[in-house]
Amino acid sequence: MMSRPRPDNRILNIHRGIVLFILILLFSFGCVSSETKSSSNIYPAKVASPPEGKISLPVFEFPVPQSEGEKNYLGVSGAGNCKVTQINSPVLIIEIFNMYCPHCQRSAPFVNDLFQSIQGRTDLKQKIKIIGIGIGNSSYEVDLFKNKYGILFPLFPDQDSSISKMLGVSSTPTFIGAKINRDGTTEQFYFKAGELSDVTNFLSEILNLAGLKQEDTQ
Amino acid sequence: MIKGKYVLSLWFFSVLMLLLETSNVYAQSSSFKDNIYPVGKLKPRDSVLTLKVGDRAPDFTLPAVEGGKITLSQYRGKKNVVISFVPAAWTPVCSDQWPGYNIAQDLFVKNDAILLGITVDNIPTLYSWTKQMCNPGEKLWFTVLSDFYPHGEVASKYGVLRSNGVSERALFVIDKNGFIRYIDVHDINQRPPLDGLATALEKLNQ
Repeated sequence: MMSRPRPDNRILNIHRGIVLFILILLFSFGCVSSETKSSSNIYPAKVASPPEGKISLPVFEFPVPQSEGEKNYLGVSGAGNCKVTQINSPVLIIEIFNMYCPHCQRSAPFVNDLFQSIQGRTDLKQKIKIIGIGIGNSSYEVDLFKNKYGILFPLFPDQDSSISKMLGVSSTPTFIGAKINRDGTTEQFYFKAGELSDVTNFLSEILNLAGLKQEDTQ
Repeated sequence: MIKGKYVLSLWFFSVLMLLLETSNVYAQSSSFKDNIYPVGKLKPRDSVLTLKVGDRAPDFTLPAVEGGKITLSQYRGKKNVVISFVPAAWTPVCSDQWPGYNIAQDLFVKNDAILLGITVDNIPTLYSWTKQMCNPGEKLWFTVLSDFYPHGEVASKYGVLRSNGVSERALFVIDKNGFIRYIDVHDINQRPPLDGLATALEKLNQ
């Protein structure tokens, strides 16, 4: 005759079940996470999720451009390095690209279209600026990319990939949107990897997420 | 009680299968989309270079992806030649090195140079691999050669065949007289910056 388990054994079984469930859950997420990391070395772009909640843009430095036009565009002056928070624009779009990446090459005309769309609108051109960071690229390689595609906004090399690592970028191109507040604080509101091909939708998404009012987009 | 245990086991099994299925689908879809075989970190160099700057470049004839055969000496007296050996198709660093060269044609043209890309892969593999480097309807501006059979013979002649049968990631610049003017057998895990090659090409005309 089968005996009924004692009540404390039943509780023990339930506890064991919960622990097992948590372990399975952790193990499963571990698999997904490691796959994401291992495939990060592969050049075709994959879409990453935008960050949840409010997070700050990591403050990185880049060389002050030599061109007066680019200095004026970013609102920076002098020589040496400047911080990203010194860029005089409420909203900044950062494209992390790589000269060698075919997806970045294909995106280049569209990113130029995006720049022109913004610059062509008096209500937006002082509110949104774009810069490009060349992951693993030398100055020579960045210049080659800039000249090849007639890139209209400032590009900066990130030969040791330190900026890209700070920003958490592992595939190219990746587009990041951030607010730069007057008090020097920042809010990163957009982070997405993959080719850019629909400029209208991209700009609309940036405007919505940046909280720019609808009348600003007209 | 047996029924309770059965239900509990079934619930855990279902959750387990659901989670495993989710992670498999993610992994499968990710790797299928990427198409690139992850090779991991390799021994930076695994061959002994037998040539040096100033040596005459060993001649060779290899089949080209676009058809026909290319002989190195056909460029003698006409063009400087850059040879880019890359280890293998569908591997991480190789898959973005040549797309970079594909937008650097001006650098080669202004230095009166042509580029020959060589791997130990066969022609069909090179055809599909190089095709995905370009926009639809376009092709690489430079010639890609297959050192597949006899396997790695040219890589071996140049001292850049690794023990596992792939070549090093190596650049050779050969002048119009057929002499080697620059060699960079690079760490196989890293892409050689274009700066070094650009400087070497500009020196050819000095």
